[in-house]
Amino acid sequence: MNLNYAFMLKDIPVVLSALPLTLALTVISMALALLLAGLMGACRLKRIPVLSQVIVVFNTFIKGVPLVVQLLLCYYGIPLILKSMDGFLGYTFDPKNQSYFAFACVAFAFNYGAYMTDMVITSYEGVDPGQSEAAASVGMTRSQTLTCIIIPQMIVIALPNISNYFMWLFKATSLASIVNVFELLSVARASTADNYAILEGYLIAAGIYWIICIVVERLLNSLNRKLTSHDRRPSVAAVTEKVQVS
Amino acid sequence: MFRGSELFTESLAELAGYVPVTLFYFLVPTAVSFVLGWILCLIRSGKKNVLYYIASVFVSFFRGTPGLVQIYLCFFGLPQLFDLFGVDINSWDAGIFYIIATCCNFSSFVSEAFRSGCKAIDPGQIDAGYSIGYSRSQCFFHVIMPQAMEIALPNLKNLEIDLLKGTAVAYVIGVTDIMGRANQIINHHKGYGQIWILLAAAILYFLINVLVEIVFSLISSHNKKYRRAAA
Repeated sequence: MNLNYAFMLKDIPVVLSALPLTLALTVISMALALLLAGLMGACRLKRIPVLSQVIVVFNTFIKGVPLVVQLLLCYYGIPLILKSMDGFLGYTFDPKNQSYFAFACVAFAFNYGAYMTDMVITSYEGVDPGQSEAAASVGMTRSQTLTCIIIPQMIVIALPNISNYFMWLFKATSLASIVNVFELLSVARASTADNYAILEGYLIAAGIYWIICIVVERLLNSLNRKLTSHDRRPSVAAVTEKVQVS
Repeated sequence: MFRGSELFTESLAELAGYVPVTLFYFLVPTAVSFVLGWILCLIRSGKKNVLYYIASVFVSFFRGTPGLVQIYLCFFGLPQLFDLFGVDINSWDAGIFYIIATCCNFSSFVSEAFRSGCKAIDPGQIDAGYSIGYSRSQCFFHVIMPQAMEIALPNLKNLEIDLLKGTAVAYVIGVTDIMGRANQIINHHKGYGQIWILLAAAILYFLINVLVEIVFSLISSHNKKYRRAAA
């Protein structure tokens, strides 16, 4: 294939310059999604009458609709909401200066928040009830029990899932190029506008995504191993290994 | 608001005509990936020869890069690749490029699901298969494959739903499925009522998803009949 190799080498730093924005999009969306998942999971675990049913319906709908459609809905819909809020509490709507980054964050946060709500619920149920009884027996308050006993254990249980979702989200941020966010993929495309070397640009983008994916996956796996190393319960992997040995 | 709901029903009727197209882009990769996924799975659980490393890099690449990038790479790269052999495929429909990219992507994910299913099979089952005189291929088709599929079923369901939702991305290279048609309608209306058109598309996707979910729950309840109660 007659690829323009000189251009490819020159283009790598240009595409890499968009990596911080892609990572920021991933991390901010992930943090928002975790927050949302925590809130929605708490509502469902507490069985708050109307709210928990609304959350179930809402989450089911979100899980059944493609992410692109949600991104476009946020892209077209949020400005309408902001417009109707013009003049409210001194807020002024500026149609020429909209943060498409924030709109994409909202879409990602709701999409992944819906998936992670189930994760929050299962990991909460995965914590041994004896743990909170033990905490109560040493005189901890309800909030102390939650922050010092239950949530740390929930994180350890949920971490493999969280890292999976993180990788999915990192790859999904490429979709934000459709809604005017200048992340890695759209920068890769824009950088090739001068000489129509579109394929070269996309190859570089693919390479960067691939490398980052492998590196982040390694990091998350080692973090996961570190966190579970002092777990007294036999992990699933250890159990299956034992089965194979015997 | 009234015109909005009118636009909604209009575009819902229009987009419903494109449901078969989306189903086509969903079912073809499913069928191809079933075969290709098993081939990749078998290569990756066999001896570590050249084929093994090629398959591993293939799977790693298609799992480690976004589907959107793969679609673009196929769309812009394959014509250049075929050009080397003097074949001109520039006139091919965009849908073909989407299907090629998605087949590679989806079979990588499916092969991993099959592989974890294979690992979970009791080795005694395979020994039992050989002990009644099955050949290697008979053992694979009658013992390993059905059991691995059953174990991988919940995983497969999630992947299939992701695949279905992923078809919406195809419109970026000009495929006219539900989302592609919705995008065309949006462009016709020049900055008015996009929300209603997108909501119509969202509802159609949701209904197809419900259908897929029902099919999978039928399969798993069918399988349940043959499962022995846990001792």
